[in-house]
Amino acid sequence: MDDKKTLGQALQTRVKRRSVLKAGAAGVAGSMLVPGAVRVAMAEDKAPLGAWPAGSQGDSVFVGLTVDLTGPYSAQGAEQKNAYELAAEMINAGDPRIQKISPLLKKGVMGKTIKVGAADSETKPNTAVQAATRFIHDNKALMVAGSTSSAVAIALQKVCNREHTPYFTAISGSTETTGVDCQRYGFRPGYYAYMSCKAIAPVAAKEFGKNRKAAYLTPDYTYGHTTTKSMIEFSEKEGWKTVTNQVHPLGAKDYSSYLINIANTDADVLVVVAYGADAANAIKQAKQFGLLDKMKVLLPYMSGYLEKEIGADLMQGALAVNGFWWTMQDTNPLAKDFVEAYDKKFGAKPRDAALYAYLGLILWADAVERAKSFYPPDVVKALEAGVVRDTPVGKMTFRAEDHQGDASFPIMRGKKPADMKNPDDFFDVIEVVNGKSVLPPVGLPGCKLGGYV
Amino acid sequence: MPSMSLVFSQLFNGLSVGLLLALISTGLTIIYGTLGVINFAHGALFVVGAYAGYTTYALTGSFVLAVAGGSAVALAVGLVMERGLMRQYYSRPPEDQILVTFGIGIVLVEIVRGLYGGVSLSVAPPSWGTGIARIGSLIYPLYRLETLGIAAVTLLLLYFVLYRTSLGLIVRAGIEDSQMVNALGINVKRTFLVVFGIGAMAAGFAGVVNAPIVALTPDMGFRYLVDSFVVVVIGGVGSFPGAVVGGIIAGEILSLTAMINPQYSDVMLFAAMALVLIFRPQGLMGQEGRE
Amino acid sequence: MSTLQTTTLQGDAAAAPKQAVNSSRGGIMRRQLPEMLVGLGLLAAPFILPVVGMSPDLLTRILIWGLFGLGFDLLFGYTGLLSFGQAAFYGTGGFVTAYLLTSGVVSNLLLALLIGTVMASIAGLAIGYLTLRRTGIYFAMSTLAFGEMFYFLENSSFKEYTGGENGIAGVPPPELSLGFVNIHISSGWPMYWFVAIFFFVGYLIARRIVRSPFGTVLKAIRGNPKRATALGHSIQSYKLTVFVVASAYAGLAGGLLGVFQSYMPPDAFALDTSAQLVIQTVMGGAGTLLGPLLGATIWLYLYEGLQQLGDIGAYWKLILGIIFVILVTVFRHGVAGGILDFVRHRRARPLAADEEGSDRVAGALDIVPPLSSTQAGSPVLEARGVTKHYGGLKANTDINFTLREGELHGVIGPNGAGKSTFFAMLAGELATTSGKVFFRGKEITGIGVTEVCQLGMSKSYQINQLFEHLTVRENVMIPVLARLRGKYRNDMLRGLHSDELDSQVNAAIGMVDLTRQADTRVSDMSYGEKRRLEIGLALATGANVLLFDEPLAGLGPEERVLVVALLKSVREGRSMVIVEHDMDAMFELAERITVLYEGRKLAEGGPDEIRRNPDVQTAYLGGMDDESA
Repeated sequence: MDDKKTLGQALQTRVKRRSVLKAGAAGVAGSMLVPGAVRVAMAEDKAPLGAWPAGSQGDSVFVGLTVDLTGPYSAQGAEQKNAYELAAEMINAGDPRIQKISPLLKKGVMGKTIKVGAADSETKPNTAVQAATRFIHDNKALMVAGSTSSAVAIALQKVCNREHTPYFTAISGSTETTGVDCQRYGFRPGYYAYMSCKAIAPVAAKEFGKNRKAAYLTPDYTYGHTTTKSMIEFSEKEGWKTVTNQVHPLGAKDYSSYLINIANTDADVLVVVAYGADAANAIKQAKQFGLLDKMKVLLPYMSGYLEKEIGADLMQGALAVNGFWWTMQDTNPLAKDFVEAYDKKFGAKPRDAALYAYLGLILWADAVERAKSFYPPDVVKALEAGVVRDTPVGKMTFRAEDHQGDASFPIMRGKKPADMKNPDDFFDVIEVVNGKSVLPPVGLPGCKLGGYV
Repeated sequence: MPSMSLVFSQLFNGLSVGLLLALISTGLTIIYGTLGVINFAHGALFVVGAYAGYTTYALTGSFVLAVAGGSAVALAVGLVMERGLMRQYYSRPPEDQILVTFGIGIVLVEIVRGLYGGVSLSVAPPSWGTGIARIGSLIYPLYRLETLGIAAVTLLLLYFVLYRTSLGLIVRAGIEDSQMVNALGINVKRTFLVVFGIGAMAAGFAGVVNAPIVALTPDMGFRYLVDSFVVVVIGGVGSFPGAVVGGIIAGEILSLTAMINPQYSDVMLFAAMALVLIFRPQGLMGQEGRE
Repeated sequence: MSTLQTTTLQGDAAAAPKQAVNSSRGGIMRRQLPEMLVGLGLLAAPFILPVVGMSPDLLTRILIWGLFGLGFDLLFGYTGLLSFGQAAFYGTGGFVTAYLLTSGVVSNLLLALLIGTVMASIAGLAIGYLTLRRTGIYFAMSTLAFGEMFYFLENSSFKEYTGGENGIAGVPPPELSLGFVNIHISSGWPMYWFVAIFFFVGYLIARRIVRSPFGTVLKAIRGNPKRATALGHSIQSYKLTVFVVASAYAGLAGGLLGVFQSYMPPDAFALDTSAQLVIQTVMGGAGTLLGPLLGATIWLYLYEGLQQLGDIGAYWKLILGIIFVILVTVFRHGVAGGILDFVRHRRARPLAADEEGSDRVAGALDIVPPLSSTQAGSPVLEARGVTKHYGGLKANTDINFTLREGELHGVIGPNGAGKSTFFAMLAGELATTSGKVFFRGKEITGIGVTEVCQLGMSKSYQINQLFEHLTVRENVMIPVLARLRGKYRNDMLRGLHSDELDSQVNAAIGMVDLTRQADTRVSDMSYGEKRRLEIGLALATGANVLLFDEPLAGLGPEERVLVVALLKSVREGRSMVIVEHDMDAMFELAERITVLYEGRKLAEGGPDEIRRNPDVQTAYLGGMDDESA
């Protein structure tokens, strides 16, 4: 948690720490004053990497959050910040709910308090990179986390890799994050488009029927194209036909032209690939054009809050894949812990961005405990060790070859407004997909991890 | 090869999109023409109007009141802006004006975000606007058809004010030569205030009218701002008919490009703007030599 | 005041006592003061600024924006061209450099940076050529449009090279191989020093440009492009050149960004980047070269600092916006401008005093020698059948006019007679509807004022067309530069002052008796002084044929006497045409007078003839039945 600071104080802190570090590096005198000094001696034969060992020599460690506080994904970003802060607070307090996920986390991580600091990435890769470098160089961050846009996630991943600092995405839907752009120090706990498309295709075929004609609304950037590609691939396996693929500029407000194009075909399923407000706009306008009367809506990678944005009336009957839905607490006690803790602190139900944030921080802390060190290569190796943990979304681990998490995720159907038991009850969870079963074969996405140092 | 009915649908849709753009751009062009101020806060005023309309609708349940509320708030913000800040900038170089309106734009958007959050909001269309209209083979949302009508009527109203009232005469004279108007003893300061207010109100009005069609987000204004600059340049800076013609052209460019190659629809607008600037910089209906 | 008549004929005797005590050609220190201060600042920054919490990364980033801004300030602050598309060149340079280094095509860092800069300059040449055809807001909007098109291209057609929305990562850390030793530049302070060197060199070059003849012409273009053109400069060429220079700076800055971050972001091309550059420059103070650096310091410091305050969360942007609005409102010329204004108030001496100039005054102001040899009395300027119709309005119809060598010829006529239109055609400003104008036998109909000026004819305007924000001395330099260097010369690295330039400038200033006000800003002068300067500018072009459009306009009685005496005194070696309303002055000055009436030549002859001509009297006083006169 951040302390309230004046501008001067906030910036002074960094200076003070630097002076402490100088003393510590120069001689033993400084390090004698801080607990955990024993560690320093052991690690002295390893060269400094990233913010290590400097960042681990105090009684707290810093985690930098690069989240979208402004910009089109500010809802997801705010949620992530909340969840990271919640997780840190719970870890620092030694909350028993955390221990259900990671039994090793007794109080703090390796006895040190986690301090988080957030910077606004504004959904711009450059701003995010700027923030991450500042976190690592100035704040001595030992871990960086947070993302909504894949472009930002990939940029962060690369920079953190160069700085030998573990980086965890929160939301990143594009294949490339653990594909061609994978990095030794980058980890993706959440599912992505390939997995969700593979999972939903047979379910959609069952729900909507086998011989459907699909029209796609694809946002014109990497995430959009790879998602559409995966969805087409898997849906056609189920016997669906792809009638048209309408590619629209990212951030388009008016979908009328594309919807008119689609209306002029005989498609009966509308696949909305867009994320965030784009999806809300597209679906709202599709309804206005009467398309929803004859077409079913499929959301292979749904953004959190979409249901709130378009309302139950438009969401009903739609099939969507998301990372998490709060009613999973009915079947999963860890999910219940998470939802309750989040709701209690923030007065709202968490969506999948919050879940992945929560998970990411806990799994990192868990890895540090298993490695018994903050030394980045050791932490990475611990994450690659394939240790399975219980989480609000089932058992999960990271795949060593590409650092892709295999958490389970729900496929949902929008409820009829009349069936809603409370204002948040938008979805029926039809199936919880086993993440592992829909991972692509190792190497298919083209990941080649680099070295540790 | 797209079918005739598709082409017709897109043409019609382009008209609808275009008239809305025209409405937004009119405010921009009047403010620039009369005051010489390039209002980079125009998109933010659009957003303020939309969100104020949302709140009014939530409070009253009446769409008409929502439109009034949204426009009124935008008008108020515009008046405060002009009197509080812009007034001091008329003697300052244009880049200063650009910067301060840009800053005000940021402040307005962030206030909206602070008040309403980042999750997008919905305004339902009025009861007389739900449903689909069928015109021959064309299927078109009824509300969009109505916005076409609303935009057309509003533009006519603005035309009436500008070309048939003494206030409008002063405004148009001011666009020609504000020093002269001042020398003639007309209270230019008050005129400027009114003009700025009208321009802001037009943006806010467009924001509310557009609200049922889109998802409201605090950042949505930027796209409309940039598009309206393109419209103003194509149509002719300071020209009201230019804004209308430019808007329609822009709307058609967007629609028709979307029909053929959707990825290029945005960039086609800029290419059109660049072409106009190279070959006929005063715009289609602007006067030569105006800057 | 009787010295006025004799000034021209005096030698370099100090008719012009220079006010400065340190009339310094000495004082290298003084001249290079800004460079030294900047150098010291760069050296001191790593030791001072971290105290307020600025990290090496932040300082390096600020320097990169500062470098980007040096070029932009030359374009905008000095030449007055507001561009919203500089990101196109920043991105081009950055991505070319990043691509070359990551793909291994070029492994030498400096070479890659150079290629990136060159590519950006080429892009600048192309875009500049297309956009500079327009001015003002049209120019700004078209640069915006092209910037956006570049952004789009980067994300689509050139995706393979640029990585699309992912950018190019993995730019190798800089390594300089100097033959015998390899220098690795790691991140942190070494990177700061690396970039600081580039900034400093860039600053030195920019300073030279600003203080070169080229740079002086840029300032004239910003002040009054129309007059700069009329004084003999081909301003389009200057504009294009400075545009390319700005794009080169942008390209280099972009390249350094990629190297600094080991990552080249796609948003380098975004409109946001161009906007941020403009914001920082104006906030810091345009036209100071260091404004962008200062603006970047403020903006980036606040940007980072605000986010670290406690629970501020997403409100940081709101607060930044408010602070920004306040800064722009309070500081009229940016923060740097505010500082300079403050310093200016405190100093006894005007800051604008140009201490590098020489004191010498030329014996006589140079006059451009006529192209062909002429004897007194032969025609130098001829209009044959000159007609100008604007649709149905017949401004001038079939006017014949001859100015002879050494003559002082007046043109009079009641209001609406078409004098200004005629004059504009004589001066080559305006094309005729029919009819031709000849200057020493060469046809000059509508060839444009720049050409005409280079040929040896110049006009002085009815409404003062001066460079208001420059001093008298700087004003007079403009036409002299055009004469000495032709309509365009790319001498941006040369020093401004030479004996030739200075002696000519001082002579011209002396001729119009403004020596005491030589270092005064024009906007601070009285109307009478400005009018004299207006004439002085035309004289300083070295023209041997001068056109004076109502030189006495707006002057009081004593000043009129002075100016009439001035006009008489400059006749030696020159032929002149004067349009005037002041009849007394005209009859006193002119040898020959042409009367225009309703667009036609009514009468022509000596002063006495004209005075007695009944048609002329009717035209001026109006006949009994005429309603308009």
